Amino acid sequence: MSLDLIAIKTLCSDRGKLAMAVVGVAFSVILVNVQVGLFLGLMRKAGMLVDYSQADIWVGHQRMHNVDFARDVPRRWMHRIKAVPQVERVEPLLIGFSEMTLPSGSFESVVVVGLEPQATMGRPWNLDSDDWRVVARCDAVIVDAFDSDKLEAPQVGELREIGQVRVRVVDQSRGILGFLVTPYVFTTFSRATQLLHRDPRHCSYFLVRVEPGADVEAVCQQIRERIPDLDAYPAATYSRISQQFWMTRTGIGLSFGAATVLGLIVGLVMVGQTLQSMVLDRRSEFAAMKAMGATHHQLFRILAAQSTFLALVGGLVGLAGVILIHQAFSTPRAPIETPWWLTSGSLGLVTLICWLAALVPYLHLRRIDPLLVLQGN
Amino acid sequence: MAFASVCTVRPPDAASPPEAGVVVMRGVCKSFIRGRNVTEVLRGVDLVVPQGSCTFLVGPSGCGKSTLLSILGCLLTPDRGDAWVLGQHLPSLDECGRQQLRAARIGFVFQRFHLLRGLTALENVAAPLALAGMPPVAARRRAAELLEAVGLADHAASDIRRLSHGQCQRVALARALANDPELILADEPTAALDETSGRQVMELLHRLLSEFRKTALVVTHDNRIFPFADRIWRMEHGQLFPWQPAPLAMPLSLVS
Repeated sequence: MSLDLIAIKTLCSDRGKLAMAVVGVAFSVILVNVQVGLFLGLMRKAGMLVDYSQADIWVGHQRMHNVDFARDVPRRWMHRIKAVPQVERVEPLLIGFSEMTLPSGSFESVVVVGLEPQATMGRPWNLDSDDWRVVARCDAVIVDAFDSDKLEAPQVGELREIGQVRVRVVDQSRGILGFLVTPYVFTTFSRATQLLHRDPRHCSYFLVRVEPGADVEAVCQQIRERIPDLDAYPAATYSRISQQFWMTRTGIGLSFGAATVLGLIVGLVMVGQTLQSMVLDRRSEFAAMKAMGATHHQLFRILAAQSTFLALVGGLVGLAGVILIHQAFSTPRAPIETPWWLTSGSLGLVTLICWLAALVPYLHLRRIDPLLVLQGN
Repeated sequence: MAFASVCTVRPPDAASPPEAGVVVMRGVCKSFIRGRNVTEVLRGVDLVVPQGSCTFLVGPSGCGKSTLLSILGCLLTPDRGDAWVLGQHLPSLDECGRQQLRAARIGFVFQRFHLLRGLTALENVAAPLALAGMPPVAARRRAAELLEAVGLADHAASDIRRLSHGQCQRVALARALANDPELILADEPTAALDETSGRQVMELLHRLLSEFRKTALVVTHDNRIFPFADRIWRMEHGQLFPWQPAPLAMPLSLVS
């Protein structure tokens, strides 16, 4: 018989209160994981083009801040970048907004991404045909299957108009969805200039691959020094910059953060309420324990064991809920990213919250007078 | 209820009790402040409880019996006078010393048992051993022995909510003996029990006292159990007087 066992058995003896606290903790874990998971999923979408580009460095106009909102730079600067030591390959990428005409007569804004047919970086992935070269066909564009509803179910071989120019859907990708609700459409660089009505002598970005073993940061610095009008970032950095653009401009972080904090507060209140109510219910028992010589340290240990138990049980129930929600509701459109550090971090956070919740009942418990049990109570 | 001491005068030299006894009190005073009123509950109490005796403390409600028991149980300190429990001079002990004395050498039996709900009888008896830091296996073994001693070996695994009041008080007796204390303080141990259960509990207490060589001080109103006392003190107006109950008030048939 240990103090921990006494703590857990007395807690479990009141199943109603136990269930309430477990639900509170599970709710906290679910809310933290789903909210942060949705946030991470959205943020991943904000940097998805960069993350999947297989480029080491993204080069664009000075002060570039979001992959979808680029400013054109002269394409001829590509040769100057190629001349930078340790640069192995440079490819241009054009990106811009246009409109696709739909069969119903309506139209939908799209983000057109143009690449050379022989491009090795920035290409769409998860293609049905698994062959990017299909884009070299006449009027070819590639759309994403998950944007089917918005684009009114375009089929391979179907003709559409983008920017009043005829295009033919030649393939579909699966899961290339940006932070914006605007679908991505991939095509060749030259066709993209037509669809976007842009000067073919300009492009939006240069995607750079460096030689194996090269110092990417140093190459970026050399590109900036060589062409001061350009900014160059390692792909991971530019992905983060693109994500921060949405975080700072939209306040999305605050919104998701507030919901997460709310979830934690709910857990705090419910666990605190349960422990407090248990202490109140068992005042005479705690008084008897004090009379028998229990120290405040031992009584705190009982509360700490109970709150840890609640955190563990509630956390496991919550994680089961997270798995179910992930299976049922996570889609490429609204992905719920739950990496290991999030799930384990949420468990740690909830455990801390549970310990915190034990403080008020503990202060109450300290004030319980052992004389209580010698007054006929 | 919150109490506040009026004064805490400590004697300069109180190293050893003036006479032999598990409990020795000399001129103990205790007052409480309730609002603007000062109530003097104990007014110079003198008491000696010899080793191995079962001493009863009787008196009307509110006369200070529980206060006296609280002082002996190291839950209160006297304002004036000297008190020795098991050779320890109580006014000289700090909170930690009182807590240690309570935990290691004094056992409590309460009127309403105050067993821990949700635990079995065995676990309740083992609880003070856990508080004392005894390893779980040894604590369970000791608790099982004590439950056998109080005749509840068959109920060791029973949830205490399923036990009768009499059985609960027997569990509480076993719990009070768990840490092998030298002094048992019982506060109205039969008040919540019917006549038969009360008699059984007192018979058990009496047997355990002689079997385990313990000393007990029992606060009670219950004249049915007076025959179990070696000595009875009556408290009146904050002072103790030796007392002999009227023979007709004593149901001698209850004596085992």
